[in-house]
Amino acid sequence: MTTLPARPPLARSSDRVIAGVCSGLAAHLGWPVKNVRLGMVLASFAGGAGLVFYAWLWIMVPTADEAARRNARRPASPIAPAVSQLSRSSPAQGKTVGAPAQGTASDGGMPAGADGFSPDSTEGTAASPWFRVRGMRYGKEILLGCGLLLVAGIMIAQLLGVDVSLGTLIPAAAVLGGASIAWMQLDETRRAGLVDKTKADQAGGWGRLAAGLALVVAGVLVMVSGSGSWEQTWLALLASVAVLGGVVLVLLPWALKFWRDLEAERAGRIRETERAEIAAHLHDSVLQTLALIQRRAANEHDVVRLARAQERELRGWLFQDPGRESGQLSDRIKAAAAEVEDLLGNAVEVVTVGDAAMTEAHEALVQASREAMLNASRHGGGTVSVYLEASDGQAEVFIKDRGPGFALGDVPADRLGIRESIIGRMKRHGGSAAILSTGDGTEVRLRLPAAELAEGKP
Amino acid sequence: MNTNPRTGANGTGTQPASTGAGREANSVRVVIVDDHAIFRSGLKADLHDSIQVVGEAATVEQAIAVIAEKRPDVVLLDVHLPGGLGGGGREVIAGSAALLSTTRFLALSVSDAAEDVVAVIRAGARGYVTKTISGAEITDAVHRVAGGDAVFSPRLAGFVLDAFGTAPADIADDELDKLSARELEVMRLIARGYSYKEVAKELFISIKTVETHVSAVLRKLQLSSRHELTKWAAERRLL
Repeated sequence: MTTLPARPPLARSSDRVIAGVCSGLAAHLGWPVKNVRLGMVLASFAGGAGLVFYAWLWIMVPTADEAARRNARRPASPIAPAVSQLSRSSPAQGKTVGAPAQGTASDGGMPAGADGFSPDSTEGTAASPWFRVRGMRYGKEILLGCGLLLVAGIMIAQLLGVDVSLGTLIPAAAVLGGASIAWMQLDETRRAGLVDKTKADQAGGWGRLAAGLALVVAGVLVMVSGSGSWEQTWLALLASVAVLGGVVLVLLPWALKFWRDLEAERAGRIRETERAEIAAHLHDSVLQTLALIQRRAANEHDVVRLARAQERELRGWLFQDPGRESGQLSDRIKAAAAEVEDLLGNAVEVVTVGDAAMTEAHEALVQASREAMLNASRHGGGTVSVYLEASDGQAEVFIKDRGPGFALGDVPADRLGIRESIIGRMKRHGGSAAILSTGDGTEVRLRLPAAELAEGKP
Repeated sequence: MNTNPRTGANGTGTQPASTGAGREANSVRVVIVDDHAIFRSGLKADLHDSIQVVGEAATVEQAIAVIAEKRPDVVLLDVHLPGGLGGGGREVIAGSAALLSTTRFLALSVSDAAEDVVAVIRAGARGYVTKTISGAEITDAVHRVAGGDAVFSPRLAGFVLDAFGTAPADIADDELDKLSARELEVMRLIARGYSYKEVAKELFISIKTVETHVSAVLRKLQLSSRHELTKWAAERRLL
């Protein structure tokens, strides 16, 4: 029995045929999965030792945490995992005693709350008494105990001379096996398979359910048919099916109603969480700004600036694409524009097309753009239009204002704003800058070719 | 997107579609659709005398009724509206589809975000302006739309460039899915903050030609089945 710390903890894998025991074991021991599975099957023929071992592992070993999370697919509320962790902690301690093979490494790595109960299924138990049975604290221990008792009972009965024929044992085993296969649905795949309605999961789930049902029915059938003719059995089967159908018919509306309630409750909870988040954000941002605006109502400049800044912030929050990488060139240009807007109070409208990851040369482009925006806002005195177009070949920034314009030659030689911070900076980084000024306004055109970026010219 | 403005546009062609012809002489008849009464009255005060406000509406249902009754030249349409099936301005245009040959829609949005506006553009609006726009600018935009032209803001031009790509169309490409080299140039200049007049001067073409290019781009924006546009529309359940 090995407890090397380097080994991955013993956990049922999501790569499963039945319950992921073999692949989990293989991952833990570092053996090929095929060999483990073959060994398990072979061991099953040795008086069912493999089967018993498998069942025992199935019951005792939790699933991998990631699998549970992947199956859950929804971000749980931050409170829920803590709750499930609490309720799991005591059985987890019991496991260490019962499973010396796993050792300390596996115990430490065993994710509490991973098996059977993804965080949001814990919430499900709160909603329905039916699921609560599964939430029983020592459910696994009881199940294991029952199984062992059963085996012991059979052994004792045989010792006492009672003939427990194979003809009874096999159907009984079939019934038990079928039932456990069907119950597997209540395992962590339950929610993923049934709630999320993912086709693959659902198909697998229904397949398992059908297999379990078939096994149970076959088992019961063999048990019953042992005492009578086939004709009688068929009749009995027919009657049973009819009764079952009736029961299903009666219970179906209940089940549907229960299901809908559960869904509605989930949706309500998600909505509530979202609402709370939005309320918190609005409180922290918009309400504060509104209060500020009321206090500064006399100062038009401040009011406009506050309103613009708040609009920018709110828009960024509302329309941001969470999948997008941050810190890209467009973000930096927008940040520079926001800074200039805050500083001088004139609106700076940014339009971006395409994007690029930041490099040192891009940094220079951003700085030059910022300088140009400052000039445009300061001397143009109106709205400044900024346009960024970034492609694989190059990055271009245009900064346009509608001020009175100026001639570069008229700028005193000691004023470095344009010559150094814009033109010189762009040239040093392999780019170019052009300034076009007429009586209707000024446009600064900055261009940075990608070829220079590749060389990494400092 | 089946709200193509051209289909079914001839249902009730009672008026000749020549509202733009004598627009300099006649005042433009306008209906303002916005759920904020303060904004409606402010806008009314801002508009130039050459624009006559003949009706107002605050919800989708009211808007469709008022537009059908007044038959305005231009509808100033807020993108976000209560009522109806929740479709806002898009739903108003869809509900007034029969009038699209005589009535033009100019979308108004509190935000300049293309996400808000492309839906109404694709439903058939001839352009959009933000609510922060000045009275003179909106007057100009109304006249432009009444004359059958499109009104593009820098940000919408940026969105178009993003969605259609910045490479000019090859001959082999579906012409609806790409912009021509000239259209790209026009869009770039508009995105850079150029007015139509400045674009015309920069490219040595007439303003009329600029307007033709912009209208062509608008048509592509409305009819294109380009992947980015359909994906964008599908995400917002517009298809």
